Amino acid sequence: MVKTNSSLNKERNIRLKGLMASVSEQRDKQAFGELFNHFAPLLRSYSLAREPGSTLLADELAQEVLIKVWNKAHTYKPELAAVSTWVFTLARNSRIDHLRRSGRFSTDIDPTALFESIEDDGPDPFQMAQRQRVEERVHNGLKQLPIEQSQILAKVYLEGKSHQEAANELELPLGTVKSRVRLALQKLELFLKR
Amino acid sequence: MANYHPTPEMLTDFSAGNLQLGHALCVSAHVEHCDECKTNLQRLNSIATNLFDGLEPASLPDTLKNAVFSKLDDEHIEEPVREKTVSSHIPRALQQFISESYETLSWKKVSSMIQQAHLSTDVSGSKISLMRIQAGGKVPMHTHSGEEYTLLLEGSFSDESGLYNVGDFLVRDERHKHRPVVTKDRECICLTVTDAPVTLTGFFTRWFNPLLRRGHFSH
Ligand SMILES: [Zn+2]
Repeated sequence: MVKTNSSLNKERNIRLKGLMASVSEQRDKQAFGELFNHFAPLLRSYSLAREPGSTLLADELAQEVLIKVWNKAHTYKPELAAVSTWVFTLARNSRIDHLRRSGRFSTDIDPTALFESIEDDGPDPFQMAQRQRVEERVHNGLKQLPIEQSQILAKVYLEGKSHQEAANELELPLGTVKSRVRLALQKLELFLKR
Repeated sequence: MANYHPTPEMLTDFSAGNLQLGHALCVSAHVEHCDECKTNLQRLNSIATNLFDGLEPASLPDTLKNAVFSKLDDEHIEEPVREKTVSSHIPRALQQFISESYETLSWKKVSSMIQQAHLSTDVSGSKISLMRIQAGGKVPMHTHSGEEYTLLLEGSFSDESGLYNVGDFLVRDERHKHRPVVTKDRECICLTVTDAPVTLTGFFTRWFNPLLRRGHFSH
């Protein structure tokens, strides 16, 4: 039997959760090593997407995030999110923090507080089932988006470009960029209807 | 329950970490009490996760793994899993500036009807503050230059386009012409973030206009 892409994805998520449990409960360094092998290349790639060529920065981000994975393993809640989701938020916060330290992102505002304050309280079983369906829809749907839509999502999420910056870079009107994002969100049936 | 929300693009930029922090502060304070936006954000996070997972893995320098492993045994202060405080009605994103109540801030009088408390200024020059307007306070017709983000924290006000209540999130720019009026039953407190360069024509900052100080309030 050929395994579907999404069942492979599911298996991988379960494996990563198992590794997290070993790290969190037994401080298992071998399990951590496997998490390192999985995430360090992705984290480095994430940093390079925003700052191509800045390999030192990429090493720094990967190192910082992975040490957080080790130190904060007990705060990861497997019932709420995939390990990748949690690691992504750590990476995003680390990126924001770097921009802040380097003076490009201003202020005395503590960025982690902004994201922590809106974390989930923990959904009920109905919401969990619904969330699972959304996850699968996104996973399968992203690959089927027209390239001009997925390209902008990648710019926004990976390269850290705002819609305005993406518009400037692609030499498109801001309105076009916005509508491509909205079309993508519609196709993925992502937003609750207002 | 809020009726006015950040746009999908704004939530997208927020979840990607691309909003300037002042704007992110406004979005966060809104989302904390908006289940709808919370769900949407959580769904946007799954886009982020999928894109992140799909990155072409970069090659690693040999030294990185050792560097990380050498730090695992460093002592670190274990952060407790934070319990949510439910005691305060102040959005948690704002609690880094306001500990107990809005009263404890240093409010500066802007006019007989309006007080302002400065929270922070961005490197870009954009200003984050709270505005507090007396019940029944009015402003003359005005327009904007630059963008102004407003989150209603207490009370309500209305303008030509609608009535706004606690939790409502608004962005106003030069295209908007309006005349906000605070409802008569109680004062109104708003979080505002105004773009640089600071002009005196913002939604609430317009109240700084010297004309207004001379009492040309009601018409
Ligand atoms: Zn909302």
